[in-house]
Amino acid sequence: MTALMLAVLVGVLMATGAYLILQRGQIKLVLGLALLSHGVNLALFGTGELTRGAPAILPHDAAEAAQLLAARTVADPLPQALILTAIVISFGVTAFIVVLISRRDAFTGSDLAPGELAGVINSADPFTPHDPALALPEAADDYDVFAYELDEVYDLPEAKELLGHEEIDRE
Amino acid sequence: MEMSLPPTILAFPVAIPLAFAALGIVFQLMRPTRAVPMQQFLAGIALVCNLAVASVLLVFTLSGGRLAFQMGLWPAPFGITVYADALTAIMLFFVGLLSLLLLPFAMASLDARRERQGFYPMALVLLMGANGAFITGDLFNLYVFYEVLLMASFVLLALGGTPSQINGSIRYVVLNLMGSILLLLAAGITYGTLGTLNMAQIAERMPLAPPAVTALIAGLLLVAFGGKAALFPVFFWLPSSYHTPHPAVTALFSGVLTKVGMYSLFRTFPLFFPDLLIAWQPLLLVLAGLTMLVGVLGAFAQPTIRRLLSFHIISQIGYMLMGLAVALIPSPFGVGFGLAVAILFLVHNQLVKTALLTGGGQVEIEMGTGKLNELGGLVSQKPLLAVLFFIAAFSLAGFPPTSGFIGKLGLIEVTFATDKWLIAGVSIFVSLLTTMSMIRLWQYIFWGKPHTQRRSRSEYAPSTTQAMLLTPTAVLVVLSLLIGIFGQRALDATQIAASQAIDRKAYIETVNLQPTPGVQASEPSAAVLGTRMSAP
Repeated sequence: MTALMLAVLVGVLMATGAYLILQRGQIKLVLGLALLSHGVNLALFGTGELTRGAPAILPHDAAEAAQLLAARTVADPLPQALILTAIVISFGVTAFIVVLISRRDAFTGSDLAPGELAGVINSADPFTPHDPALALPEAADDYDVFAYELDEVYDLPEAKELLGHEEIDRE
Repeated sequence: MEMSLPPTILAFPVAIPLAFAALGIVFQLMRPTRAVPMQQFLAGIALVCNLAVASVLLVFTLSGGRLAFQMGLWPAPFGITVYADALTAIMLFFVGLLSLLLLPFAMASLDARRERQGFYPMALVLLMGANGAFITGDLFNLYVFYEVLLMASFVLLALGGTPSQINGSIRYVVLNLMGSILLLLAAGITYGTLGTLNMAQIAERMPLAPPAVTALIAGLLLVAFGGKAALFPVFFWLPSSYHTPHPAVTALFSGVLTKVGMYSLFRTFPLFFPDLLIAWQPLLLVLAGLTMLVGVLGAFAQPTIRRLLSFHIISQIGYMLMGLAVALIPSPFGVGFGLAVAILFLVHNQLVKTALLTGGGQVEIEMGTGKLNELGGLVSQKPLLAVLFFIAAFSLAGFPPTSGFIGKLGLIEVTFATDKWLIAGVSIFVSLLTTMSMIRLWQYIFWGKPHTQRRSRSEYAPSTTQAMLLTPTAVLVVLSLLIGIFGQRALDATQIAASQAIDRKAYIETVNLQPTPGVQASEPSAAVLGTRMSAP
C-alpha cells in the first residue's frame, strides 16, 4: 500500500513538473524543475525497502544480521544517502537557475522568455546595438535577439578607434 | 611488457585538479592583479601534472594493463571503485592535453573581467568532473561527477554575464538538468532492481533482471548520456548556448563536454547491455543517421563561425554513435572493430574540432566579429592560420592524410562489412555536405576581398600574444596529421581500448567484488536479487 502511494505520488510530481516546464513563465520553469527533482528523490526513496520503524543499521553479529535481512525488518540506508546527495545538488542548481533568471529579468524587465519579446527588448535593452541595420524584425528567432558580442581583448583604447571598430559600433 | 603501477595513481586525475582549483579559489580573495597570475600559474602546474599522470596511465593500459582501486579501501561493492583501462586512459590523456593546450589560448585572449571572475579555477573544476566521470566505477558516483562537470560548465558559460550568455545558459542549464534527473532515475531503478550501484556488479547481475527493467534502464541511460553527448533529438541545448561564451570556453567545451557523454555510452552499453546493443542496433543507427544529417544541415543556415561549428559538433557525434551501434556485430575485422574506430573518431574529433574552434576563435577575437558576411580576405593577413584552418577543416570533412580520413574510412568499411548500407550511404553523403560547409566557412573567412571596414586587431597585439593564440590550433592540426599518417598504429591502440571495453569478464575480475556478508556464499547475486525482486 505504501509502495503504491509512493508510486502514485512520484507520478503526480513528475507529471506536474513536466507540465510546468512546458509553460511559458520562467518561475514556472523553476518550480517545474524543483518538482521533477523531488519526484526523482521520492523514487530513489522507494528503491530502499519501505520498512516502518526499523533502524537503518545492521547489528554487528553476522547471524543476527542475516536473520534481520531474511525477515526484512531492516531499513536500507543507502537510498537515503543518495537522496541527501541529490537534494544538495538540485538545491545548488536551482539556486543557480534562479540567479540566471533574475539576471535575465533585469534586462528584459519581464518574466517571459525573450523570444516573444524581441520588439520590447529592441526598444528597452541597453545591450542591443542601436543600429538600424542590426534592428531585428519582431518575430526574430530569440537567439538572434542578442547580437554577437565579445569583450575587448587587447585592452588598448586607441586600437578600436584606429581600426575603425569604434565607428562601426557607433553607427 | 610487464609493468606494475600502484593503483593509488587513480586518485590523482581527480585529486590534482581539485586541489589546485581549491588553492586558486583561495587566491580569489586577493587583489585581482595578484590573484590572476597566481591562478594561471597554479592551473599550469595542475594541467602539466594531470597530463603526466594520464600519460603514465596511457602507457600502462596500452600494454594491456587494467587498474582498479577502492576508495578508502572499502571492499568492492561497498566503497567507491575507480577503474581505468585503455579507453579511460585515452580519454584522460586527450582531455588533459586539450586543457593544457587551451591554457595559453585563454591567457592570451581572455579579458580581465572574466579572468577576475575565476575562469582558471573553474576550468580546473570542469577537468576534475570530466576525469572523475572517466575513472569512476560506480553509477551514482558517475552522476555526481556529471553534476560537478555541469556546475563548472554552467559557471564558465555564464562567466562575463552578457545577455546572450545568460540567455544561452538558461537553456543549457535546464536541458542538462533534465538529463541529469533521468540519469539519477536510472541509477535509482538500477539500485532498486539489482541492489547495487557498483558498475562491475551491475554488469554481473544485469542478466538476472527482468528484460523490461533492463530495457528501461538502458533507455534512460541512452537518453541521459545521449543528451549530454548532443544526440538527435536531445541536442537543442548545444546550438543555443555554445556560441555565447568566450571562444576559449567554447573550445574547452567542445573538447570535453559532449565527449564525456559519448564516453559514458561507450563505457556503459557494452558493459551493461551487450545484448541490447545488438537488439537495438536499428534504433541506434537511425539516431546516428539523423544526428549526422540534422547537424550538418543545420550548419548550412548559420551566419557566424561558432554557430556553424557547433552544429558540426552535433553532426560528428552521429559518426561515433554509428561506430558504437556496430561494436558487437561480428565483422571480418573482428568483434569490437566498430568501437575501436568510434574511439579513434572521438579522439580525432576532439583534436580537430578544438583546432577549428580555437582558429575560428582567434579570428573572432582579432576581427571583433564572428559574422561570416563581415569577414573575408584574411588569407593575406594571416596566412599561417589560413593554412592550419584549411587542414583542420578538411580533416573534419575526412580527407587524407588526416585523422578524419582514417576514422571515416574505418566506420564506412565496418558498416559495409556488416551490410549496413543505408547508414554507410548517409555517412558518405554527410561527409560530402560537411566538405561543402567547410569550404563555405573557409571561403567566407579567408578568401575574397578583405572587409572594407574591419581590420585585424592583431597588429596591436604583441607577437607573444599572437603566438599563444596560434599554439593550440597548430599543435592540434599537427596531431591530426600524425594520426592520419600513422593511422595503423593509432587504430591498433584504439583496438586495445575497444577490446578491453567490451571484455566484461575482465572488468568484473579487475574490480574484484567481495561477497556480501550475511548472504549465502554459494549464490550471492541470485540471493540478493531474490530479496530485491520480491519486495512488497
